[in-house]
Amino acid sequence: MPPSIHPVHLVTVLRQKSLTPAIVFLTSRRSCDEALQAFEHATDPLPPARQENITAVLDELTAAYPSLQDHPLRRMVTACGVAAHHAGHLPSWKIAIEELMRRGCLDAVFATTTLAAGVDFPARTVVLTQSGVRRDQDFTDLTIAEVAQISGRAGRRGKDSVGFAIVTPSPYMDLGVLIRGLTGRPEPVDSQFIIAYPMVLNLLKAHPLDHIQSILAKSFAQYQMNAQAAHLEHRIEKLHAKLESYKPRECSDWLTQWNAYDHATRQTAMKLQARRHHPPEVRARLPFLTPGRVVAFPRFSGIVLRRYRSRGQRHETVTVLRKGGVVAESPVADIMGVIDHTFAFAPAPAFPWATTEALSWLTQQLEDLPKHLPFLTVPPAPDDGEGELVKSLGDLFPCPSCPCRPTCAKEFKAANTVKQEWLHHTRTVQSLRTGLWHKFQARADILQDLGYLDPAFKLTADGEWARLIRIDFSLLITELIRAQAFKDIAPSTLAGLMACIAYENDRPNSFPRISGVLASLVATARRMAEALAAYDDPPLLRADVGGLAERWVGDATLTWAQLCRATSMAEGDIYRLLSRTLEYLSQVHSLQSTHPDLATLAAEALSRIRRGVLEELP
Amino acid sequence: MTHDELERALAELPFRLLRGLGRAIAGPPALRMGKRRLIHTIVAGAEANSARIEATFRTHQAEQGALAAGPAPAGGASSEHKSGNPADLRALLEGIGVPEPRPFVPDDWQVEAVEALERGDVIVSVPTGSGKTYVAVEATRRAMYEDRTVVYTSPLKALSNTKYTEFCKLFGPEFVGIITGDRRDNPTAPILIMTTEILRNLLYDAAGGEIDVRLDTLGLVIIDESQFLADPERGVVWEETIIFCPSQARLLLLSASIGNPHELAAWLTCIRPTPCHLVRHQHRSVPLRAAYLHPNGKLTPLFRTVTMPPSPSQAVLHPEAKRLFTLFEEDTVYARRSG
Repeated sequence: MPPSIHPVHLVTVLRQKSLTPAIVFLTSRRSCDEALQAFEHATDPLPPARQENITAVLDELTAAYPSLQDHPLRRMVTACGVAAHHAGHLPSWKIAIEELMRRGCLDAVFATTTLAAGVDFPARTVVLTQSGVRRDQDFTDLTIAEVAQISGRAGRRGKDSVGFAIVTPSPYMDLGVLIRGLTGRPEPVDSQFIIAYPMVLNLLKAHPLDHIQSILAKSFAQYQMNAQAAHLEHRIEKLHAKLESYKPRECSDWLTQWNAYDHATRQTAMKLQARRHHPPEVRARLPFLTPGRVVAFPRFSGIVLRRYRSRGQRHETVTVLRKGGVVAESPVADIMGVIDHTFAFAPAPAFPWATTEALSWLTQQLEDLPKHLPFLTVPPAPDDGEGELVKSLGDLFPCPSCPCRPTCAKEFKAANTVKQEWLHHTRTVQSLRTGLWHKFQARADILQDLGYLDPAFKLTADGEWARLIRIDFSLLITELIRAQAFKDIAPSTLAGLMACIAYENDRPNSFPRISGVLASLVATARRMAEALAAYDDPPLLRADVGGLAERWVGDATLTWAQLCRATSMAEGDIYRLLSRTLEYLSQVHSLQSTHPDLATLAAEALSRIRRGVLEELP
Repeated sequence: MTHDELERALAELPFRLLRGLGRAIAGPPALRMGKRRLIHTIVAGAEANSARIEATFRTHQAEQGALAAGPAPAGGASSEHKSGNPADLRALLEGIGVPEPRPFVPDDWQVEAVEALERGDVIVSVPTGSGKTYVAVEATRRAMYEDRTVVYTSPLKALSNTKYTEFCKLFGPEFVGIITGDRRDNPTAPILIMTTEILRNLLYDAAGGEIDVRLDTLGLVIIDESQFLADPERGVVWEETIIFCPSQARLLLLSASIGNPHELAAWLTCIRPTPCHLVRHQHRSVPLRAAYLHPNGKLTPLFRTVTMPPSPSQAVLHPEAKRLFTLFEEDTVYARRSG
């Protein structure tokens, strides 16, 4: 079985069940084109009457859009009654397809899921073949809103009594996503407020700095953040009440004190660890356990031969000579008492840790010792670790003598968790309430540093014109203008650079060569973008796409078909590139009063771009 | 029955039944046994479980009988199984075609939206294709009677162009203008179609002190596809446009179904001089049905009900669609593994 239904088969089935016209949503432009190609020899042509219909509509549209005249797909559409509709096509072609669909001349249109919003024509049926959509580099699931947008195209008002959404499987399709999309509630709309440089300049042009905060407060972003903050404040109140329940105390800020203590304990914990493992009375004995010391165990006594701690062990161990010449290891904790008696002997570097003579002499001495010997009185070692710690904290931790210390010690952990949460929420609320304003201030500071704003946050002469550039990467463009990068260049070079800045797709393609002047200008722009990288995300700045705009503007005799042949880029993409370049140029053109030369240059570039296909359409 | 006979009889049972039997006798470890070991286990425990073993043999015989007798009387049933339930498919495709032409009568919600615009701003959040344009056109007409400028914004140039053509037909080309990033036709007309960015820029200029007659007489701002507010790159433009929109103008936000229209309405009420009226519904003017089309060309309903389930939790797949999709998944998984 094929992995997914063949497009010709699909359309045949739809025709049989009278489910046409249909829009088939596919993942990529390529799959749309391939689906269309599959019809080339596979189906019988439409009946002549319908073909004439299509031709009539196309001819009617050709009057307005001459580029339809020789469109390579024209014959195909007329013969098969199917078409592809995606961003790779010229707008005029897309308009033609939409018009054909509206008039019901076509049976099926293959469209990309990415452009579901741009597909503004209804059909009786929509066919869903994928549950994902390509976004940037990723492949993500369709959102409920997107599926709703797609299925919303099914069913034409007044022409259909029912609309159909048909799911047909393909590999990697997740049916769950589509079912959720078809039946679920759309996602909420969340604010995507960003503070861009043109916004800062234009706001400061119209309003003094002290009014800005109240303007920002009107944004949906702030509205949503306020709602979030109110929710958190409710939680903060609860936490506060919880904290209150721990009172009363001797001191008001016991949590701070205990927190300081807890922090210091953690800091010194590593150092203390080694000593901590022995109880204080054992620790006090350690200095006495020298070789030759007589020690008493519960059942016997012996002479210490050495004291050591094995690697990885927490407890100290002693090697002890017992009665009868037995040499054995015992943990120091087993020692019952230290006896006030030592023997000097000759130690050895290895087992049995004493020379043979010394060993037999010591054994003898041990035999001769009286049964009951007085123990040394060793006072238990003070818990110096904690003591020092408390001392070092000084006023920060006055608790040692405090009567409620035990209660505090018990409750500190729970109370501290509450307090930390409280602190965290308080900070979040603060940033929710003032975050936008701080971001605005940060942007304004940068603009002040760059000289667009004066110390009083009023627009400088540069700021006055820079606010008219209201596109992405405005900072880069205004900085380039200030650096006089556009001095003495041709309109085509300016158009080329604007194309490089405007084009943000990294789809690889082949392009005509760019001129040396443009190359060096792009290099300048790139250096500038790097210098500004700390303030603004740099554009992709692909040098190669500039070649297209440069040629189109530079050579007035170049036809659209010739331009398309010069690159592997799709027609629709070239159109979009040039029309975005046009937008950028018209922004530059708006600087007539301050930069007349540059504006003239932009005007010339604009007039040269607007010809052929770009003239026939908005 | 002797042990040997029992063993031979058991060997003829399908593995599925053997395993069930084994599990009843030896518990879960039987699930990991092979056929030979299963038979041994069953034979060893045969005395205590003779009733169960006999019952299994009876089940087996019944199944065999059904299979042998199957094709003759159940021929229809099996072909029906193959093609799903044709009744369901008929129900799915019923009523397909062109409805009776009816004189156009605006829906209640459309009237409500236009009326509400007299009193304040309006948000319309309805499913795609249920007639938002009617509200826009009617509101435009009313604003025209009052000699007010109307601005209609949309997110895409292509949509602006479509609307421009449409409005030109409705109101006459001399009354309609279009301004986009690269097109300017009749920019002083009383009805202006533009992209949202252009309106934002006009509002910037107006705030900056440049006098614009169009904004002074502005009576209505229609923002189409206002769910674009959530667009990561361009959403901010929608917000700015709404914030800076002159207070004397009415706002009409048209959007597809969104999750939180109440929140948007509450926000507008908060920042605008007049309260915002929300018009929303989930009802599609042309009902939608969902179907599943298998790659072999077989069409079945997608859901058990002909109408769309109201929520994902109530969406129950049609058994045939479920079976076919499972089949498809198994096939492609196998193809992927072997390929």
